Amino acid sequence: MSVEDAGAAAVNPISRLVKSYPMELILLVLILFLVATAPGFASLGNILNVLRTVAMLGIIAFGMTAVIISGEIDLSVGAGVALAGCIVAWFAETLSGRLGGAAAVTIGFLVAIGVGFALGVFTGKCRQLYRVPTFITTLALFTTLRGVANLITGGFPLSNLPSGFGFFGGGYLLGIPFPVYIFAATFVLMHFLMKFTSFGRSVYAVGGNLEAARLSGIDVWRVKSLTLGLTGVLTAISGTLIASQIGSGIGTTATGMELDVIAAVIIGGTSLMGGTGRIWGTLVGVIFLGCIANGMTLLNVSEYWQYVVRGAIILGAVLLNQLLEKVR
Amino acid sequence: MHRMTTTSARMADARSERLEFRTVSKRFGPTLALDRFSHAFEPGRVHALMGKNGSGKSTLIKILAGAIAPSAGDFLIGGEVCGFHRPQDAFDAGVVTVHQELSLVPGLTIGENIFLGRLPHIRRFGLSMVDWADLNRRAGDLLHEMGLDLDPLRLVSSLSVGQQQVVEIVKAMSNEPRILLLDEPTSALATREVKQLFGLIERLRARGVTMLYITHRMSELFEIADTCTVLRDGAHVGTVEMAGTDHAKIVAMMFGEAAHARRPPRRAVTRGKPVLQVAGLQRVGHFHDVSFDLHAGEVLGLAGLLGSGRTEILRAIFGADASDAGSVRLHGREVRGATPRQMCEAGLGYTPENRKEEGLVQLLPTADNLCMASLSRIAPHHIVTRAAEAEPVRRQIHDLSIKCGDPENPVQSLSGGNQQKVVIGKWMNTEPSVILFDEPSRGVDVQAKRQIFDIIWQKAADGLAAVFVSTELEEVLEVSDRILVIRDGTIVGEVDPAATTLTELYRLCMEGPTQ
Repeated sequence: MSVEDAGAAAVNPISRLVKSYPMELILLVLILFLVATAPGFASLGNILNVLRTVAMLGIIAFGMTAVIISGEIDLSVGAGVALAGCIVAWFAETLSGRLGGAAAVTIGFLVAIGVGFALGVFTGKCRQLYRVPTFITTLALFTTLRGVANLITGGFPLSNLPSGFGFFGGGYLLGIPFPVYIFAATFVLMHFLMKFTSFGRSVYAVGGNLEAARLSGIDVWRVKSLTLGLTGVLTAISGTLIASQIGSGIGTTATGMELDVIAAVIIGGTSLMGGTGRIWGTLVGVIFLGCIANGMTLLNVSEYWQYVVRGAIILGAVLLNQLLEKVR
Repeated sequence: MHRMTTTSARMADARSERLEFRTVSKRFGPTLALDRFSHAFEPGRVHALMGKNGSGKSTLIKILAGAIAPSAGDFLIGGEVCGFHRPQDAFDAGVVTVHQELSLVPGLTIGENIFLGRLPHIRRFGLSMVDWADLNRRAGDLLHEMGLDLDPLRLVSSLSVGQQQVVEIVKAMSNEPRILLLDEPTSALATREVKQLFGLIERLRARGVTMLYITHRMSELFEIADTCTVLRDGAHVGTVEMAGTDHAKIVAMMFGEAAHARRPPRRAVTRGKPVLQVAGLQRVGHFHDVSFDLHAGEVLGLAGLLGSGRTEILRAIFGADASDAGSVRLHGREVRGATPRQMCEAGLGYTPENRKEEGLVQLLPTADNLCMASLSRIAPHHIVTRAAEAEPVRRQIHDLSIKCGDPENPVQSLSGGNQQKVVIGKWMNTEPSVILFDEPSRGVDVQAKRQIFDIIWQKAADGLAAVFVSTELEEVLEVSDRILVIRDGTIVGEVDPAATTLTELYRLCMEGPTQ
């Protein structure tokens, strides 16, 4: 921006606000609208409910933001959530007798995290060594992981979980759902990682111009693999929380969740071309999606219309961003 | 076939198609790129256009191709005044250009590429569909006519660069041009492929096609051209018949009398231990047997024409491309299987020739770009804050006088010269002992160019060892303490810039493949 633009912005702070924070403003308007029209939207119980749903999605979406900024994509997170839940449930069922419930679940959780990280790095390595686009590798994983999850459970829910386990997904700490704490912590960590570390800088550089980043001495493939691995870890965490909430490991959980995650990232202003995007924007994106879904349900909008509206919002958000790009 | 007869008929007309320029000028802002150029090119001959960079020959070609309009004057083809407003107009008038960069689609076959955008159709079952049999037969005929043994069904991606160049020309010929413009068609070709291309040009000449041919390789002129037209500073210096001239005369026409470059007073370079030692470096198909030493405080120029292998050598030293043989030593220690990351850590910097594609991340702020190569220095514990970046960013903006307004704004908003300085600043922040400057003055204005040269000298005075590459040999002569001449992928000589002239340096670079 030149000196002129800065001057113009100073003259008209409102237009600057609209240009800089379009999605924030739209979210604000949406919330005000729902508070006024949707019965019970503003009640504490409903707000906590929205936050809990948003948390499961958001934990993964923050990782996905980094992946998309680095110029890649991960389509396997929905299946990854199911797999992680099934792994935890399987360990709980198999080892609880010998080691006790807490230890069995902990081992299951660590295995799920390890698998999530390894799959992310594997995707990155396929990209680096065999030039397989991450779209393809994660599309393959999308169906594979779903299959493996069902193989683990044998097609039936694994519900033999220790009694205290339900707290993580369904419990409250100081009156707030536990997953919301994880969600908030993930937000803070990812925001810090992307904004204040050399790794975060490298992610933007790699996604913005791979060759320039490489010629600047950045290990571009390591950066991409690590963002994918990180998303795998976050997926495993979210998957464990969801298994805890529903009280079992089910192979068909979170079907289609990857699309909601990607939609949230895109609504938050991250470009699928890589190089630009913010963790803050994704936070806005997930809350936006959560409010829309909750609000429409409260307003008795049919589920089918909800799908249509969500589609329109995704396209609208991208069009808005393109438009603002021109105005800026 | 009917098309064959029309082709020959058109070719016969071509014999009378004289191309005449009448006081054509082109002004870009304050600069006069072409100054009242007048000349008539006789039909059915190969006319070489010569002149150093910026002499106006590309401008002339672009006007003829309809890419730009002249500011004054006009030109005639076969006695008819041509007013081209866009490339399609030139194309319709029978002027076809073969560009230096290939414009073929690699995933399609040779035949499809030749007829791209005008595939022959046939009606079958009431539907209009592509007539593949006709397309491939016609493409095969064309290739055969040109004396080429290529299957029209082959994918373009399976062809060598030389074969692609030839297909490009066949594609141009399928439009039955009256005038064919060839812009450095040999710059990317191996010797054998050049022979094939020349064979094709001979055939076209025999058919009466008028050709304008731009090249930097002097020896080619004597092999293929009939006349040579020389431009200097936008003006027509003269036109000679190749039969009645020699290398020296053409070089003299290109540079005139004042062939000595301006040079600042030289610093005495104290040759201590070599900082960078390159021995027997080779990358098959690009360069071979490259060996030299670079000393602290020295600016070493690499002089060579486009396609001589200069850039490839720098990229291999930096580890951006793999090399097949040879060694690179930094401070006496050999770096094996180097990557840019290792080289960066070992104190080597590289400013690439394409600053947009390889030098900068355009979307990111100037500040981020300046710190990109030195994150491990700025953030020893991996935590980057604007406070930690402030000093290195401020220092480079000050030292290199980068005009960027707010360093938080995307680097793409900067001018070319300032962007180049950001690339240099990025490397200065790594406190390197060696920097490879690849075309640091390309596309920047005169003032920024001077500043960049001053920066290089100043850093060299502080002990930086630099390799300097530029297409403008004047600049190589001006900036360097010592010059290596690169030709056909290897070092063919060493020159002391104080004891040589621009004309002599050009001659060394242009002498073409030694026969």
